[in-house]
Amino acid sequence: MIIRSPDQVPRVTALKRFPMPRNLGVSPESRIEQGRTWPAPVRAGRVKAFEIYRYDPDLEGNPRIDTFEVDLDACGPMVLDALIWIKNTVDSTLTFRRSCREGICGSCAMNIDGTNWLACTRFIADLATPATIYPLANMRIIKDLIPDLTHVFAQYALIQPWLRSKTPPPERERLQSPEERSRLDDHYECILCFCCTSGCPSHWWNGDRFLGPAVLLQANRWLVDSRDEATGERLDELEDPFRLYRCHTILNCTRTCPKGLNPGKSIANIKRMLLERRT
Amino acid sequence: MTNSTPKRLRPLSPNIQIYRPQLTSVLSIANRISGIVLSLYAILLVVWLVAAAAGPHAYSTAQVIIRSWAGQILLFGCTFSFFLHLCGSIRHLIWDAGYGFELRTIYASGWTVVLVSSALTLLSWIISMVLAG
Amino acid sequence: MDNEGMRSPLGRALGLGSARTGVEQWWRERVSALALVPLTVWFAASLMVHTGSDYATFIAWLRTPIVSILMVLLLAGIFYHTALGLQVVIEDYFHSGLKTLALLGMRFGCCGLAVAGILATLRIAFGR
Repeated sequence: MIIRSPDQVPRVTALKRFPMPRNLGVSPESRIEQGRTWPAPVRAGRVKAFEIYRYDPDLEGNPRIDTFEVDLDACGPMVLDALIWIKNTVDSTLTFRRSCREGICGSCAMNIDGTNWLACTRFIADLATPATIYPLANMRIIKDLIPDLTHVFAQYALIQPWLRSKTPPPERERLQSPEERSRLDDHYECILCFCCTSGCPSHWWNGDRFLGPAVLLQANRWLVDSRDEATGERLDELEDPFRLYRCHTILNCTRTCPKGLNPGKSIANIKRMLLERRT
Repeated sequence: MTNSTPKRLRPLSPNIQIYRPQLTSVLSIANRISGIVLSLYAILLVVWLVAAAAGPHAYSTAQVIIRSWAGQILLFGCTFSFFLHLCGSIRHLIWDAGYGFELRTIYASGWTVVLVSSALTLLSWIISMVLAG
Repeated sequence: MDNEGMRSPLGRALGLGSARTGVEQWWRERVSALALVPLTVWFAASLMVHTGSDYATFIAWLRTPIVSILMVLLLAGIFYHTALGLQVVIEDYFHSGLKTLALLGMRFGCCGLAVAGILATLRIAFGR
Protein backbone atom coordinates (compact mmCIF):
# COMPACT_ATOMS: atom_id res chain seq x y z
CA MET A 1 0.00 0.00 0.00
CA ILE A 2 1.15 3.56 -0.65
CA ILE A 3 1.36 5.74 2.44
CA ARG A 4 0.46 9.32 1.49
CA SER A 5 0.93 11.09 4.80
CA PRO A 6 2.51 10.12 8.14
CA ASP A 7 -0.78 10.17 10.06
CA GLN A 8 -2.13 7.47 7.76
CA VAL A 9 -2.19 4.25 9.77
CA PRO A 10 -1.70 1.22 7.50
CA ARG A 11 -4.75 -1.03 7.34
CA VAL A 12 -2.64 -4.15 7.10
CA THR A 13 0.58 -4.72 8.98
CA ALA A 14 2.63 -7.71 7.89
CA LEU A 15 5.00 -7.57 10.84
CA LYS A 16 4.40 -5.68 14.08
CA ARG A 17 8.01 -6.09 15.18
CA PHE A 18 11.10 -7.85 13.86
CA PRO A 19 10.84 -11.48 14.99
CA MET A 20 13.52 -11.63 17.67
CA PRO A 21 13.67 -12.39 21.38
CA ARG A 22 12.25 -9.43 23.29
CA ASN A 23 15.41 -8.93 25.34
CA LEU A 24 17.96 -9.63 22.60
CA GLY A 25 21.20 -7.75 23.09
CA VAL A 26 19.76 -5.80 25.99
CA SER A 27 21.99 -4.82 28.92
CA PRO A 28 20.96 -6.20 32.33
CA GLU A 29 19.44 -2.99 33.69
CA SER A 30 17.21 -2.62 30.62
CA ARG A 31 15.77 -6.14 30.46
CA ILE A 32 11.97 -5.97 30.46
CA GLU A 33 10.05 -8.30 32.73
CA GLN A 34 6.41 -9.26 32.95
CA GLY A 35 4.30 -6.93 35.10
CA ARG A 36 0.77 -7.15 36.42
CA THR A 37 -2.62 -6.89 34.77
CA TRP A 38 -5.15 -4.28 35.87
CA PRO A 39 -8.68 -5.44 34.94
CA ALA A 40 -11.41 -3.10 33.70
CA PRO A 41 -14.09 -1.80 36.11
CA VAL A 42 -17.08 -4.11 36.47
CA ARG A 43 -19.65 -2.14 34.46
CA ALA A 44 -17.30 -1.21 31.62
CA GLY A 45 -18.75 -1.16 28.14
CA ARG A 46 -16.20 -1.34 25.35
CA VAL A 47 -12.89 -2.50 26.78
CA LYS A 48 -9.44 -2.43 25.16
CA ALA A 49 -6.19 -3.77 26.57
CA PHE A 50 -3.13 -1.50 26.69
CA GLU A 51 0.32 -2.97 27.36
CA ILE A 52 2.38 -0.18 28.87
CA TYR A 53 6.11 -0.02 29.72
CA ARG A 54 6.65 0.74 33.41
CA TYR A 55 9.80 1.58 35.34
CA ASP A 56 10.14 2.99 38.86
CA PRO A 57 13.61 4.29 39.78
CA ASP A 58 12.66 4.35 43.48
CA LEU A 59 12.06 0.62 43.57
CA GLU A 60 14.47 -2.20 42.97
CA GLY A 61 13.75 -4.12 39.82
CA ASN A 62 13.82 -3.90 36.09
CA PRO A 63 11.33 -2.29 33.72
CA ARG A 64 8.16 -4.33 33.20
CA ILE A 65 5.04 -4.40 31.02
CA ASP A 66 1.73 -3.74 32.78
CA THR A 67 -1.55 -4.53 31.01
CA PHE A 68 -4.41 -2.12 31.61
CA GLU A 69 -7.98 -2.79 30.44
CA VAL A 70 -9.37 0.58 29.52
CA ASP A 71 -13.08 1.47 29.45
CA LEU A 72 -13.27 3.26 26.09
CA ASP A 73 -16.69 4.77 26.87
CA ALA A 74 -15.26 6.56 29.88
CA CYS A 75 -12.32 8.27 28.21
CA GLY A 76 -11.71 10.50 25.19
CA PRO A 77 -10.76 9.25 21.73
CA MET A 78 -6.98 9.79 21.87
CA VAL A 79 -4.27 7.64 23.39
CA LEU A 80 -3.40 10.46 25.79
CA ASP A 81 -7.02 10.38 27.03
CA ALA A 82 -6.62 6.66 27.78
CA LEU A 83 -3.38 7.31 29.68
CA ILE A 84 -5.04 10.07 31.72
CA TRP A 85 -8.03 7.79 32.44
CA ILE A 86 -5.66 5.08 33.68
CA LYS A 87 -3.83 7.58 35.87
CA ASN A 88 -7.07 9.00 37.28
CA THR A 89 -9.02 5.80 37.92
CA VAL A 90 -6.68 2.81 37.95
CA ASP A 91 -3.03 3.49 38.78
CA SER A 92 -2.04 7.00 39.76
CA THR A 93 1.68 6.13 39.61
CA LEU A 94 1.60 5.94 35.79
CA THR A 95 3.93 8.77 34.77
CA PHE A 96 4.14 10.52 31.40
CA ARG A 97 4.81 13.99 30.00
CA ARG A 98 1.90 15.96 28.55
CA SER A 99 0.84 19.57 28.17
CA CYS A 100 -1.11 21.01 25.25
CA ARG A 101 -3.16 17.90 24.29
CA GLU A 102 -3.31 19.22 20.72
CA GLY A 103 -0.06 18.12 19.06
CA ILE A 104 1.93 21.33 19.33
CA CYS A 105 4.10 21.04 22.45
CA GLY A 106 5.76 17.70 21.73
CA SER A 107 5.69 16.50 25.35
CA CYS A 108 3.69 13.29 24.89
CA ALA A 109 5.91 11.75 22.19
CA MET A 110 6.11 7.99 22.71
CA ASN A 111 6.23 4.70 20.83
CA ILE A 112 2.64 3.62 20.14
CA ASP A 113 2.09 0.25 18.45
CA GLY A 114 5.67 0.21 17.25
CA THR A 115 5.95 3.70 15.77
CA ASN A 116 6.84 6.99 17.41
CA TRP A 117 3.98 9.50 17.51
CA LEU A 118 2.30 12.01 19.81
CA ALA A 119 -0.15 10.36 22.20
CA CYS A 120 -2.56 13.29 21.94
CA THR A 121 -2.97 13.02 18.16
CA ARG A 122 -3.18 9.23 17.82
CA PHE A 123 -6.73 7.82 17.80
CA ILE A 124 -7.33 4.77 20.01
CA ALA A 125 -9.49 3.36 17.20
CA ASP A 126 -6.38 3.10 14.99
CA LEU A 127 -4.54 0.86 17.43
CA ALA A 128 -4.17 -2.89 17.50
CA THR A 129 -5.53 -5.00 20.35
CA PRO A 130 -3.75 -5.14 22.70
CA ALA A 131 -2.21 -1.73 22.07
CA THR A 132 1.47 -1.45 23.02
CA ILE A 133 2.82 1.75 24.53
CA TYR A 134 6.55 2.14 25.03
CA PRO A 135 8.63 5.24 25.64
CA LEU A 136 10.56 6.79 22.75
CA ALA A 137 12.99 4.16 21.43
CA ASN A 138 16.61 4.02 22.55
CA MET A 139 16.39 6.63 25.28
CA ARG A 140 17.50 6.43 28.92
CA ILE A 141 14.26 6.26 30.92
CA ILE A 142 13.77 8.43 33.98
CA LYS A 143 10.43 6.86 34.94
CA ASP A 144 7.66 4.96 33.10
CA LEU A 145 7.17 6.73 29.74
CA ILE A 146 9.52 9.67 30.41
CA PRO A 147 12.80 9.66 28.39
CA ASP A 148 15.93 11.57 29.35
CA LEU A 149 16.31 14.09 26.54
CA THR A 150 19.49 15.72 27.90
CA HIS A 151 21.78 14.32 25.21
CA VAL A 152 19.56 15.14 22.22
CA PHE A 153 19.05 18.68 23.52
CA ALA A 154 22.83 18.98 23.94
CA GLN A 155 23.19 17.93 20.30
CA TYR A 156 20.69 20.66 19.42
CA ALA A 157 22.73 23.26 21.30
CA LEU A 158 25.82 22.05 19.44
CA ILE A 159 24.56 23.38 16.10
CA GLN A 160 24.16 26.86 17.62
CA PRO A 161 20.49 27.36 16.67
CA TRP A 162 20.55 31.16 16.64
CA LEU A 163 21.29 33.86 14.12
CA ARG A 164 25.03 34.26 13.60
CA SER A 165 25.88 37.45 11.77
CA LYS A 166 28.94 39.55 11.03
CA THR A 167 27.18 42.58 9.54
CA PRO A 168 26.08 45.01 12.25
CA PRO A 169 22.34 44.76 12.91
CA PRO A 170 20.21 47.13 10.79
CA GLU A 171 18.10 49.98 12.14
CA ARG A 172 14.93 47.89 11.91
CA GLU A 173 14.34 44.34 10.72
CA ARG A 174 16.76 42.22 8.72
CA LEU A 175 14.93 42.08 5.40
CA GLN A 176 13.91 38.84 3.74
CA SER A 177 11.93 38.21 0.56
CA PRO A 178 8.84 35.97 0.58
CA GLU A 179 10.76 33.33 -1.40
CA GLU A 180 13.60 33.38 1.13
CA ARG A 181 11.08 33.12 3.95
CA SER A 182 9.42 30.16 2.27
CA ARG A 183 12.68 28.22 2.61
CA LEU A 184 12.05 28.12 6.35
CA ASP A 185 8.71 26.36 5.82
CA ASP A 186 8.73 22.69 6.87
CA HIS A 187 11.53 23.60 9.28
CA TYR A 188 10.24 26.14 11.79
CA GLU A 189 7.19 23.98 12.58
CA CYS A 190 9.37 21.39 14.33
CA ILE A 191 8.23 20.94 17.93
CA LEU A 192 11.40 19.06 18.99
CA CYS A 193 9.41 16.02 20.06
CA PHE A 194 12.33 13.77 18.89
CA CYS A 195 10.03 11.13 17.40
CA CYS A 196 12.27 11.15 14.31
CA THR A 197 15.60 10.94 16.15
CA SER A 198 14.49 8.10 18.39
CA GLY A 199 13.14 6.23 15.36
CA CYS A 200 16.39 6.46 13.39
CA PRO A 201 18.36 3.17 13.44
CA SER A 202 21.57 5.08 12.73
CA HIS A 203 20.99 7.16 15.86
CA TRP A 204 20.31 3.94 17.79
CA TRP A 205 23.75 2.57 16.89
CA ASN A 206 25.73 5.84 16.83
CA GLY A 207 23.63 8.35 18.74
CA ASP A 208 26.59 9.51 20.81
CA ARG A 209 28.17 11.11 17.72
CA PHE A 210 25.47 11.18 15.03
CA LEU A 211 23.32 14.31 15.44
CA GLY A 212 20.05 12.73 14.27
CA PRO A 213 17.25 14.00 12.02
CA ALA A 214 15.68 16.55 14.39
CA VAL A 215 18.95 18.39 14.99
CA LEU A 216 19.98 18.16 11.33
CA LEU A 217 16.59 19.53 10.25
CA GLN A 218 17.20 22.53 12.48
CA ALA A 219 20.78 22.79 11.18
CA ASN A 220 19.34 23.06 7.67
CA ARG A 221 16.86 25.66 8.94
CA TRP A 222 19.78 27.90 9.86
CA LEU A 223 21.76 27.05 6.73
CA VAL A 224 18.95 28.16 4.39
CA ASP A 225 18.04 31.25 6.41
CA SER A 226 19.12 34.17 4.20
CA ARG A 227 19.74 36.40 7.24
CA ASP A 228 22.35 34.03 8.71
CA GLU A 229 25.98 34.82 7.81
CA ALA A 230 27.82 31.82 9.27
CA THR A 231 26.82 29.32 6.56
CA GLY A 232 30.42 28.31 5.85
CA GLU A 233 31.24 27.78 9.51
CA ARG A 234 28.01 25.83 10.04
CA LEU A 235 28.86 23.56 7.12
CA ASP A 236 32.40 23.06 8.49
CA GLU A 237 30.98 22.00 11.84
CA LEU A 238 28.55 19.56 10.20
CA GLU A 239 30.97 17.99 7.72
CA ASP A 240 31.96 14.98 9.78
CA PRO A 241 31.72 11.23 9.07
CA PHE A 242 29.61 10.85 12.19
CA ARG A 243 27.78 14.12 12.85
CA LEU A 244 26.17 14.22 9.41
CA TYR A 245 27.29 11.26 7.35
CA ARG A 246 25.85 8.52 9.54
CA CYS A 247 22.64 9.40 7.74
CA HIS A 248 22.09 6.62 5.20
CA THR A 249 18.72 7.90 3.97
CA ILE A 250 16.83 5.23 5.89
CA LEU A 251 13.88 7.71 5.99
CA ASN A 252 12.23 6.37 9.14
CA CYS A 253 12.27 10.02 10.22
CA THR A 254 10.05 11.31 7.41
CA ARG A 255 7.78 8.30 7.89
CA THR A 256 7.23 8.99 11.58
CA CYS A 257 7.12 12.80 11.93
CA PRO A 258 3.81 13.65 13.64
CA LYS A 259 3.94 17.18 12.19
CA GLY A 260 4.42 15.97 8.61
CA LEU A 261 7.92 17.45 8.27
CA ASN A 262 10.65 15.97 6.09
CA PRO A 263 14.00 15.65 7.86
CA GLY A 264 15.32 13.29 5.15
CA LYS A 265 14.86 15.95 2.50
CA SER A 266 16.56 18.61 4.64
CA ILE A 267 19.55 16.37 5.32
CA ALA A 268 19.85 15.72 1.58
CA ASN A 269 19.97 19.47 1.13
CA ILE A 270 22.86 19.77 3.60
CA LYS A 271 24.75 17.06 1.70
CA ARG A 272 24.05 18.89 -1.55
CA MET A 273 25.44 22.14 -0.11
CA LEU A 274 28.57 20.39 1.10
CA LEU A 275 29.09 18.96 -2.38
CA GLU A 276 28.37 22.25 -4.10
CA ARG A 277 30.94 24.22 -2.15
CA ARG A 278 33.77 21.94 -3.23
CA THR A 279 32.78 21.71 -6.90
CA MET B 1 25.93 14.74 50.39
CA THR B 2 27.42 11.29 50.84
CA ASN B 3 27.18 8.92 47.93
CA SER B 4 27.55 5.56 49.57
CA THR B 5 25.41 3.79 46.99
CA PRO B 6 26.44 4.32 43.34
CA LYS B 7 23.86 5.97 41.13
CA ARG B 8 21.83 3.35 39.29
CA LEU B 9 22.13 3.39 35.50
CA ARG B 10 18.81 4.28 33.90
CA PRO B 11 17.39 1.55 31.66
CA LEU B 12 17.47 2.04 27.89
CA SER B 13 14.07 1.84 26.20
CA PRO B 14 13.84 -0.95 23.61
CA ASN B 15 14.59 0.05 20.03
CA ILE B 16 14.82 -2.63 17.36
CA GLN B 17 13.10 -5.12 19.68
CA ILE B 18 9.78 -3.24 19.46
CA TYR B 19 9.98 -0.77 16.57
CA ARG B 20 7.63 -1.58 13.71
CA PRO B 21 9.32 -2.74 10.48
CA GLN B 22 8.31 -0.23 7.81
CA LEU B 23 9.04 -0.13 4.10
CA THR B 24 11.61 2.62 4.74
CA SER B 25 13.72 0.71 7.26
CA VAL B 26 13.22 -2.74 5.70
CA LEU B 27 14.32 -1.69 2.21
CA SER B 28 17.26 0.21 3.66
CA ILE B 29 18.59 -2.79 5.58
CA ALA B 30 17.86 -5.00 2.54
CA ASN B 31 20.02 -2.70 0.41
CA ARG B 32 22.82 -2.95 2.99
CA ILE B 33 22.53 -6.73 3.37
CA SER B 34 22.47 -7.24 -0.42
CA GLY B 35 25.57 -5.03 -0.68
CA ILE B 36 27.44 -7.09 1.92
CA VAL B 37 26.32 -10.33 0.24
CA LEU B 38 27.52 -9.00 -3.12
CA SER B 39 30.92 -8.18 -1.66
CA LEU B 40 31.20 -11.83 -0.60
CA TYR B 41 30.16 -12.93 -4.10
CA ALA B 42 32.88 -10.61 -5.48
CA ILE B 43 35.40 -12.95 -3.86
CA LEU B 44 33.83 -15.83 -5.78
CA LEU B 45 33.94 -13.75 -8.96
CA VAL B 46 37.69 -13.31 -8.61
CA VAL B 47 38.13 -17.03 -7.85
CA TRP B 48 36.16 -17.86 -10.98
CA LEU B 49 38.23 -15.45 -13.12
CA VAL B 50 41.46 -16.90 -11.76
CA ALA B 51 40.15 -20.36 -12.62
CA ALA B 52 39.40 -19.16 -16.16
CA ALA B 53 42.91 -17.73 -16.48
CA ALA B 54 44.49 -20.90 -15.09
CA GLY B 55 43.29 -23.05 -17.95
CA PRO B 56 40.46 -25.26 -19.22
CA HIS B 57 40.84 -27.87 -16.47
CA ALA B 58 40.47 -25.38 -13.61
CA TYR B 59 37.64 -23.64 -15.46
CA SER B 60 35.65 -26.83 -16.00
CA THR B 61 36.00 -27.67 -12.28
CA ALA B 62 34.55 -24.27 -11.51
CA GLN B 63 31.73 -24.79 -14.01
CA VAL B 64 30.89 -28.19 -12.47
CA ILE B 65 30.58 -26.55 -9.06
CA ILE B 66 28.41 -23.75 -10.48
CA ARG B 67 26.17 -26.25 -12.28
CA SER B 68 25.51 -28.29 -9.14
CA TRP B 69 22.27 -27.58 -7.31
CA ALA B 70 24.17 -25.84 -4.49
CA GLY B 71 25.93 -23.66 -7.03
CA GLN B 72 22.66 -22.83 -8.73
CA ILE B 73 21.12 -21.77 -5.43
CA LEU B 74 24.16 -19.57 -4.77
CA LEU B 75 23.88 -18.12 -8.25
CA PHE B 76 20.19 -17.37 -7.73
CA GLY B 77 21.04 -15.64 -4.47
CA CYS B 78 23.69 -13.67 -6.29
CA THR B 79 21.28 -12.59 -9.03
CA PHE B 80 18.60 -11.53 -6.59
CA SER B 81 21.05 -9.62 -4.37
CA PHE B 82 22.49 -7.94 -7.43
CA PHE B 83 19.17 -6.73 -8.82
CA LEU B 84 17.90 -5.69 -5.38
CA HIS B 85 21.08 -3.70 -4.71
CA LEU B 86 21.02 -2.23 -8.23
CA CYS B 87 17.43 -0.98 -7.99
CA GLY B 88 17.87 0.15 -4.39
CA SER B 89 21.04 2.02 -5.26
CA ILE B 90 19.39 3.79 -8.19
CA ARG B 91 16.66 4.88 -5.75
CA HIS B 92 19.42 6.16 -3.44
CA LEU B 93 21.09 8.04 -6.28
CA ILE B 94 17.78 9.72 -7.12
CA TRP B 95 17.47 10.80 -3.46
CA ASP B 96 21.05 12.08 -3.49
CA ALA B 97 20.13 14.22 -6.51
CA GLY B 98 17.37 15.69 -4.34
CA TYR B 99 14.24 14.10 -5.84
CA GLY B 100 11.59 11.78 -4.50
CA PHE B 101 11.42 12.72 -0.81
CA GLU B 102 7.64 13.14 -0.47
CA LEU B 103 6.27 10.26 1.62
CA ARG B 104 3.96 9.10 -1.14
CA THR B 105 6.89 8.98 -3.60
CA ILE B 106 9.09 7.19 -1.07
CA TYR B 107 6.51 4.43 -0.76
CA ALA B 108 5.82 4.25 -4.51
CA SER B 109 9.53 4.03 -5.35
CA GLY B 110 10.02 1.49 -2.59
CA TRP B 111 7.39 -0.92 -3.91
CA THR B 112 8.78 -0.32 -7.42
CA VAL B 113 12.21 -1.49 -6.25
CA VAL B 114 10.72 -4.66 -4.76
CA LEU B 115 8.69 -5.47 -7.88
CA VAL B 116 11.34 -4.55 -10.46
CA SER B 117 14.18 -6.42 -8.74
CA SER B 118 12.04 -9.56 -8.37
CA ALA B 119 10.92 -9.31 -11.98
CA LEU B 120 14.46 -8.76 -13.27
CA THR B 121 15.74 -11.75 -11.29
CA LEU B 122 13.10 -14.07 -12.73
CA LEU B 123 13.50 -12.61 -16.21
CA SER B 124 17.27 -13.05 -16.24
CA TRP B 125 16.97 -16.67 -15.14
CA ILE B 126 14.30 -17.42 -17.75
CA ILE B 127 16.37 -15.78 -20.50
CA SER B 128 19.52 -17.67 -19.44
CA MET B 129 17.71 -20.98 -19.44
CA VAL B 130 16.16 -20.29 -22.84
CA LEU B 131 19.52 -19.23 -24.33
CA ALA B 132 21.32 -22.21 -22.86
CA GLY B 133 18.66 -24.58 -24.18
CA MET C 1 25.25 8.28 25.59
CA ASP C 2 26.13 7.44 29.21
CA ASN C 3 28.22 9.83 31.25
CA GLU C 4 31.04 7.91 32.89
CA GLY C 5 32.80 11.12 33.90
CA MET C 6 31.64 14.59 34.78
CA ARG C 7 31.78 16.26 31.36
CA SER C 8 28.77 18.47 30.64
CA PRO C 9 26.11 17.17 28.21
CA LEU C 10 27.20 19.75 25.61
CA GLY C 11 30.83 18.74 26.09
CA ARG C 12 29.95 15.11 25.55
CA ALA C 13 27.91 15.91 22.44
CA LEU C 14 30.78 18.05 21.06
CA GLY C 15 33.18 15.12 21.51
CA LEU C 16 36.45 15.74 19.70
CA GLY C 17 34.93 18.34 17.36
CA SER C 18 34.07 18.13 13.71
CA ALA C 19 36.47 16.24 11.45
CA ARG C 20 35.75 18.77 8.65
CA THR C 21 35.92 15.98 6.13
CA GLY C 22 33.47 13.44 4.78
CA VAL C 23 32.07 14.77 1.55
CA GLU C 24 34.96 13.21 -0.44
CA GLN C 25 34.12 9.69 0.63
CA TRP C 26 30.40 10.27 0.14
CA TRP C 27 30.93 11.60 -3.36
CA ARG C 28 33.32 8.84 -4.40
CA GLU C 29 30.86 6.17 -3.28
CA ARG C 30 28.20 7.77 -5.49
CA VAL C 31 30.51 8.22 -8.50
CA SER C 32 31.67 4.60 -8.30
CA ALA C 33 28.02 3.51 -7.99
CA LEU C 34 27.09 5.50 -11.09
CA ALA C 35 29.99 3.96 -13.03
CA LEU C 36 29.06 0.48 -11.85
CA VAL C 37 25.43 0.66 -13.04
CA PRO C 38 26.23 0.23 -16.75
CA LEU C 39 29.29 -1.96 -16.10
CA THR C 40 27.47 -4.52 -13.97
CA VAL C 41 24.41 -4.57 -16.23
CA TRP C 42 26.71 -5.23 -19.18
CA PHE C 43 28.47 -8.00 -17.26
CA ALA C 44 25.22 -9.64 -16.15
CA ALA C 45 23.86 -9.51 -19.68
CA SER C 46 27.09 -10.99 -21.08
CA LEU C 47 26.96 -13.85 -18.58
CA MET C 48 23.36 -14.55 -19.56
CA VAL C 49 24.27 -14.63 -23.24
CA HIS C 50 27.24 -16.92 -22.56
CA THR C 51 25.36 -19.49 -20.43
CA GLY C 52 26.26 -22.88 -21.77
CA SER C 53 29.08 -21.76 -24.07
CA ASP C 54 32.30 -23.77 -23.86
CA TYR C 55 35.71 -22.69 -22.59
CA ALA C 56 37.19 -21.70 -25.96
CA THR C 57 34.27 -19.45 -26.91
CA PHE C 58 34.27 -17.85 -23.52
CA ILE C 59 38.01 -17.15 -23.49
CA ALA C 60 37.88 -15.80 -27.04
CA TRP C 61 35.19 -13.38 -25.93
CA LEU C 62 37.16 -12.36 -22.80
CA ARG C 63 40.26 -11.78 -24.88
CA THR C 64 38.76 -9.11 -27.13
CA PRO C 65 40.16 -5.64 -26.27
CA ILE C 66 36.82 -4.02 -25.44
CA VAL C 67 35.82 -6.82 -23.08
CA SER C 68 39.23 -6.84 -21.39
CA ILE C 69 39.03 -3.11 -20.77
CA LEU C 70 35.49 -3.33 -19.42
CA MET C 71 36.39 -6.26 -17.17
CA VAL C 72 39.33 -4.38 -15.66
CA LEU C 73 37.11 -1.33 -15.12
CA LEU C 74 34.41 -3.53 -13.62
CA LEU C 75 36.79 -5.15 -11.14
CA ALA C 76 38.37 -1.84 -10.16
CA GLY C 77 34.93 -0.27 -9.77
CA ILE C 78 33.49 -3.17 -7.79
CA PHE C 79 36.30 -3.28 -5.25
CA TYR C 80 36.54 0.50 -4.93
CA HIS C 81 32.81 0.81 -4.28
CA THR C 82 32.89 -2.23 -1.97
CA ALA C 83 35.75 -0.77 0.06
CA LEU C 84 33.89 2.52 0.53
CA GLY C 85 30.58 0.84 1.33
CA LEU C 86 32.04 -1.69 3.76
CA GLN C 87 33.96 1.09 5.50
CA VAL C 88 30.66 2.78 6.28
CA VAL C 89 29.17 -0.50 7.49
CA ILE C 90 32.15 -1.27 9.76
CA GLU C 91 32.12 2.27 11.18
CA ASP C 92 28.40 1.84 11.93
CA TYR C 93 28.59 -1.41 13.85
CA PHE C 94 32.10 -1.62 15.28
CA HIS C 95 33.53 0.76 17.81
CA SER C 96 36.89 0.85 19.61
CA GLY C 97 39.95 -1.21 18.63
CA LEU C 98 38.16 -3.95 16.67
CA LYS C 99 36.98 -1.27 14.23
CA THR C 100 40.52 -0.37 13.14
CA LEU C 101 41.48 -4.01 12.65
CA ALA C 102 38.32 -4.69 10.66
CA LEU C 103 38.83 -1.60 8.48
CA LEU C 104 42.43 -2.52 7.73
CA GLY C 105 41.59 -6.16 7.01
CA MET C 106 38.72 -5.20 4.73
CA ARG C 107 40.79 -2.65 2.82
CA PHE C 108 43.74 -5.01 2.30
CA GLY C 109 41.33 -7.75 1.24
CA CYS C 110 39.69 -5.54 -1.36
CA CYS C 111 43.05 -4.42 -2.75
CA GLY C 112 44.33 -7.99 -2.92
CA LEU C 113 41.20 -9.30 -4.61
CA ALA C 114 41.15 -6.42 -7.10
CA VAL C 115 44.78 -7.07 -8.06
CA ALA C 116 44.13 -10.81 -8.37
CA GLY C 117 41.10 -10.29 -10.55
CA ILE C 118 42.75 -7.71 -12.79
CA LEU C 119 45.86 -9.87 -13.21
CA ALA C 120 43.70 -12.86 -14.16
CA THR C 121 41.90 -10.73 -16.76
CA LEU C 122 45.19 -9.44 -18.17
CA ARG C 123 46.59 -12.95 -18.22
CA ILE C 124 43.66 -14.06 -20.34
CA ALA C 125 43.95 -10.97 -22.56
CA PHE C 126 47.69 -11.30 -23.22
CA GLY C 127 47.95 -15.09 -22.96
CA ARG C 128 48.62 -17.44 -25.86
